[in-house]
Amino acid sequence: MGKIEWAMWANEQALASGLILLTGGIVGVAGQFRGWQFAAYAIAAGVFVCLLEYPRSKRAKGTSVERTGQYCFTVCVKSFGPLTRNYYVRAFLHAAICVPGGFMLATVLGCVCLGIASIIYLAAAIRGEHWEPIVPRKDTVRPPPADIKNPPQNPPPRPPPETRRKRVEDLEGAAYDNPIPVKD
Amino acid sequence: MVASLRSWVANEGGKHFVLILWLGANTWLFMKTFLLYFTGQQYHYLYKMLGLGMCISRASASVLNLNCSLVLLPMCRSLLTFVRGTHAVSSRETRRLLDKSKTFHVACGVSICIFSVVHVSAHLVNVVNFSVSYSDDFPALNLARYKGEDPKLIILTTIPGVTGLFLVLILFLMFTSSSYCVRLFNYEIFWYTHNLFIVFYIILMVHMVGGALKYQTNIEAHPPGCLTANQSSTSQRREDEERRCGEEAHFQPHYPQTWLWVSGPLCLYCAERFYRYIRSSDPVTIVTVIRHPCDVVELRMLKKNFKARPGQYVVLNCPGVSSFENHPFTLTTCPTEKKETFGIHLRVVGDWTERFTQMLLPQPRMDLEILPMVQQRRYPKLYIDGPFGSPSEEVFNYDVSVCVAGGIGVTPFACVLHALLDGWTGFRLQRLYFVWVCRELQSFYWFSELLCALHHKSMSEEKYRPLTSRLLVGRPRWKLLFDEIGKTNKHKRVGVFCCGPKGISKTLHKLCNSARSSGTTFEFNKESFG
Repeated sequence: MGKIEWAMWANEQALASGLILLTGGIVGVAGQFRGWQFAAYAIAAGVFVCLLEYPRSKRAKGTSVERTGQYCFTVCVKSFGPLTRNYYVRAFLHAAICVPGGFMLATVLGCVCLGIASIIYLAAAIRGEHWEPIVPRKDTVRPPPADIKNPPQNPPPRPPPETRRKRVEDLEGAAYDNPIPVKD
Repeated sequence: MVASLRSWVANEGGKHFVLILWLGANTWLFMKTFLLYFTGQQYHYLYKMLGLGMCISRASASVLNLNCSLVLLPMCRSLLTFVRGTHAVSSRETRRLLDKSKTFHVACGVSICIFSVVHVSAHLVNVVNFSVSYSDDFPALNLARYKGEDPKLIILTTIPGVTGLFLVLILFLMFTSSSYCVRLFNYEIFWYTHNLFIVFYIILMVHMVGGALKYQTNIEAHPPGCLTANQSSTSQRREDEERRCGEEAHFQPHYPQTWLWVSGPLCLYCAERFYRYIRSSDPVTIVTVIRHPCDVVELRMLKKNFKARPGQYVVLNCPGVSSFENHPFTLTTCPTEKKETFGIHLRVVGDWTERFTQMLLPQPRMDLEILPMVQQRRYPKLYIDGPFGSPSEEVFNYDVSVCVAGGIGVTPFACVLHALLDGWTGFRLQRLYFVWVCRELQSFYWFSELLCALHHKSMSEEKYRPLTSRLLVGRPRWKLLFDEIGKTNKHKRVGVFCCGPKGISKTLHKLCNSARSSGTTFEFNKESFG
């Protein structure tokens, strides 16, 4: 019943996964654990995923709610054209990004979550969804039509005063009676 | 200043008190468990191996236990409706707190997410320490099979590790689908993902099986830090004699405790869902369908043994439209002794309501003349679940009430007015102010019959002294209205009930919290439609 937009959910998941990757990467680098290079990669990957996923897409039908301050991100993401519009590209991109995170303990969780997000994006792409930028509506002031400046010179045609007088004896019937007969 | 503090306390005090109690319970539990593991003698050797990670992970686990058990309770709607109905058990303050049950559920859910992050991070550190500080002195204490075992392997081959991974994944799915946007636009994703909670709880109860963390059982015979037979310290031999261990240290894993916390609320919630399923398995009989202007349809129904109080709502399920979707609607007429039918007014907004009204009403055909319907209409099968309680039930329990409705939000108050029309006796309510704001004039036709009947009743009977009824164009000026109400009801407690768009409810909430020179206290109660 109704059209479910999987991309919206995938977007929330991808944003959360980006943050988890980022946190895991910071912990891995700070603790100087074994394989900390993967953690450094995870920091960069997490930041990239967050920037890519922050601007929400416009809904196919209905009102869209955008995230605070997302306009500048929308402009950046929009500039890549079909690469960011297409959800197949995003699905494969996320699948590729998440793989190196699986080699280090601190970033494993971010890797798995981003993998799930990539699967949901694939499902959204198969159903034909795509990313649309939310642009602020510009309400252009339309100039009024030209003839508004010239009001009509003559009053509208009215029947003669005798037929215009109110029929007080039959108010109910008068309401439905036309003073001038209507031709079929 | 003092007056606004008084208003604020009257409105917000109860909620903040419960919040402080809950935060206090969480903090106390965290500190108690932390100190137990930090200073407990039976954890001495484990602490030496794992460090602070063990204390933090166990402390966050106990907080998680508490919140996982509390999170289910606000969702037992039939139970809460029952508590709301029994005035003997609960006072008005308690019933007002029940209005915030969904907020409490969200608070517990958020704290589960936060403490899960803490718990998982601490356990990841523990796993690394299990691997790095593999203990040869106390082999029973180890989780790793050999020194330097890959921590990822440890996670994937132990029960706590694998169950923990699944728990985190389910929590991630539930958390990401609970955001405001997904709930508003794709409610099905939220609903189906949230029902994974049952899998979450089952896995949670087996999470501790396998016993990764062990405690020492024989502290008297083997005080921690004592010297074993082949060790000696640098001090005199006499001291060495006292500090010899009686026997080897024995370790035992903890008995899983989560089921003690969680099974009670889980059974209660499952029993409630089962009860609701049984109660709603009987389909209702649709008696009439009336079309009103501005896309509103009134539905009158009949069901055996259906009792409801004014202000309550029901949840509709129509398998002909969608098998799994359930939509809440407030009752506009409740069944009484004289009349058994009850009704709802529904506004056609989304695709479910559109499809539902198409099945109920004949489509206007442009080519034929409109003839009165003589044949029997075959209505679709309809199930209702409920009734469930809402804040608007409290209108009768104040001396003076102000009801503010925006658009279709008038439905709970329409039910209240119907109940008052049947007989204004037995209620504490003495005076009712009713404000109804609509975008279009035609919307007032939804309840034209009700309003006219009320007007006639108040004109004809002397018991009811009607206040003036006014029809005004433009937005109401709430501050002036409240000042007027305050002046005529000095030093009284007035209940303000709002059911409408966010703009109105925010303004009214602020007004209720602000100072009043007339000494009137306005208590704000809000009902929101999803």
